[in-house]
Amino acid sequence: MAVTETPPETVQASAKTAGSGTRSEPTGLAAILGTGDHKVIGRLYIATSLLFGLVIGVLGALFAYEGVDPGELDFFGANHAYPLFTLFRLGAVFLVGMPLVIGLALVVVPLQVGSSTVAFPRAAALSFWGWLLGSALLLGSYAVDGGPGGTSTTGVNLFVASMILVVVALLVAAICLATTVIALRTTGLLLSRIPMYSWSVLVASVMWLLTLPVLVGALVLSYVDVRHASGTLGGNAAIFGRFAWVLRNPQVYVVAIPVLGFTADVLATTARARLAGRPLIQGAIAGAGICGFGAVLATPSSAGIESPVVVALGLAAVLPVLAVLGLLGDLFRRGSFRLTTGAIYALCASILLLVATAAGALGSIPDMETAGTIYDLGVAHLALLAAITGALGGVHWWATKVGRAPAHEGLGRVVPLALLVSTLVASIPDLISGLTGEGVELAADWTGGISGLNTAVLVGSVTVVLALALAVASLLPIRRVLSQVSSDPWEGQTLEWLAPSPPPLANFDGPIPVVTSPEPLVDQREENR
Amino acid sequence: MSSAALSLPPAAPPARPRVLLVGTALASAATFMAFVGLIGYYASTRAAVIADGTRWLPDGANIPLTPGNMAFATMVISAVSVWWAVDAVGKNDRQMAYLALALTFMFGVAVINATSFLYTQAGLPVATTPGALIYIITGAHLAMVVVGLVFITVMVFRTLGGEYGSRDREGLVAAALFWFVTIAVHAVIWYVIYIVK
Repeated sequence: MAVTETPPETVQASAKTAGSGTRSEPTGLAAILGTGDHKVIGRLYIATSLLFGLVIGVLGALFAYEGVDPGELDFFGANHAYPLFTLFRLGAVFLVGMPLVIGLALVVVPLQVGSSTVAFPRAAALSFWGWLLGSALLLGSYAVDGGPGGTSTTGVNLFVASMILVVVALLVAAICLATTVIALRTTGLLLSRIPMYSWSVLVASVMWLLTLPVLVGALVLSYVDVRHASGTLGGNAAIFGRFAWVLRNPQVYVVAIPVLGFTADVLATTARARLAGRPLIQGAIAGAGICGFGAVLATPSSAGIESPVVVALGLAAVLPVLAVLGLLGDLFRRGSFRLTTGAIYALCASILLLVATAAGALGSIPDMETAGTIYDLGVAHLALLAAITGALGGVHWWATKVGRAPAHEGLGRVVPLALLVSTLVASIPDLISGLTGEGVELAADWTGGISGLNTAVLVGSVTVVLALALAVASLLPIRRVLSQVSSDPWEGQTLEWLAPSPPPLANFDGPIPVVTSPEPLVDQREENR
Repeated sequence: MSSAALSLPPAAPPARPRVLLVGTALASAATFMAFVGLIGYYASTRAAVIADGTRWLPDGANIPLTPGNMAFATMVISAVSVWWAVDAVGKNDRQMAYLALALTFMFGVAVINATSFLYTQAGLPVATTPGALIYIITGAHLAMVVVGLVFITVMVFRTLGGEYGSRDREGLVAAALFWFVTIAVHAVIWYVIYIVK
């Protein structure tokens, strides 16, 4: 159980910080492979998931291209369309959305709670390497014609095993994050005082821990079924069905919960005002988490979709999002608002989440008969791209903590708007097609959706990929080495802005003062006046 | 004033964050949910088969009650022994702690033994729906028992090394918590699979 110990490098760094002199940090490959530093692990998650994001985005755009005229265009071929479609759906959640959110949280949460390290730093490192290995094996399984619907038995076995590894690795990261918020807060930082982003990460992590193990159980079941039980539980054909509940609402909302916390923190800072009604906002974020409890759908049949619990969760999910945004609206009245890239990102991500939950609520009405249609795809895309937009905004906002220098502010302002518009253009046609009963989620001949509207989906999908590439370009400057970088470029309110930019190994240069309010840096500025 | 201050006892050390205990609680909750999912799948599949008028267990297969009951009773007793160990460490009674932990370890091994004996008696092929589900669920629980035993063993070594004592027994409490969840999972399995069949 060595993973439970504080890593030696962090202990030594703390000791050095308390004493005199500075310790040279590991460099090169050693700083990457052997690190227990949460910032490095978070960066690795962010960079890798963005890389996967571009690949998965291109795959989605190719599917949109084929959807324009499925009769004439046959880009993937009949044998490969289904497995690659499953890669697109699973990859969007487990290779892009969740790891990007987790990567940002691993960098920011320990700083926000005033901790010198993440809880179980070696386990956090293990989670990244486990996830990376699992992701590589997952892609490898598709390459050897595995994956759901694949013809290679070995490949299918590899697919299931690698998915187990991917999900378990992400769950380990969730344990590290939740434990950091619960047990490693600095003195005086009560749960009622923690930054909203950390609170939302805690809610999301707990929800992941309460729901995704059900998927792990189902995957173990699939593995034994395919490998040892001759497919008596459905075999290869049943594998992708066991993921269905994770890829649709309400479960897919859980990936986007941190958007609410990010929006609250960024808007409060850019408005230069303290958040009012914190308990209500915290309650609403927790409510949004509870509404995302999609594990009730994890049944052998699809009958659960019309159960009263699922309908109620789907209908209610929009309310906490509305509540948070309504409570944050007060900041525009009380504060002196300035336009920052972070604020634009936050607003765009929140709008996407609001549209996703509203569309999910509409689709949850049984009479609409949208279950299993392309409508679910539209809702999932909205929620996932809300999460991705929020996480990209977080990397931009906390650029000097994630990297070494600020991101490109001008370019950054275009990206969230491009992501907002392109996501709406890519998703709303799917919602319309689903509502009009055109197309199941995946037809064997890939004929989902109204063909005219599918052209709009193609335009939206391509623009999403371009916007993601633009986002990466706007974030490239954070790798620059500057002689002096402000530790607090936004007049921040919470503890992460007390850390130097970039933060040293032990995060803070000295002891953190006892926290007496949710906005310790505002208190400090008021005392110094 | 200064002599009075000097005579005061030293200030209590700052409370150590209970990182391991919190992490174990979260991991235990996640593990429990994995079993909730599996057992829910088992129950709904079984209900669907019975609703079709088909017998759940295939002909020739049977789940004998005696080894299942013995395994469950052993698990329940191990709850006492593991808490005995925690309590003994709290009282700095090392001998009792080692005895209690050894007993817990023995009980865990006995559960594995009883369950594997049950497998030999059940005559249940894995390539059937009930067979696959029962072996997956009970096999996963055996894996959980093994993890719990490893966790307890590590904590025993740490206690032997002097890392845990009466003032700080977080590691042992964490191991005990995981063990209690293992017992709770076994209780559900015992009822849903062995009793209801």
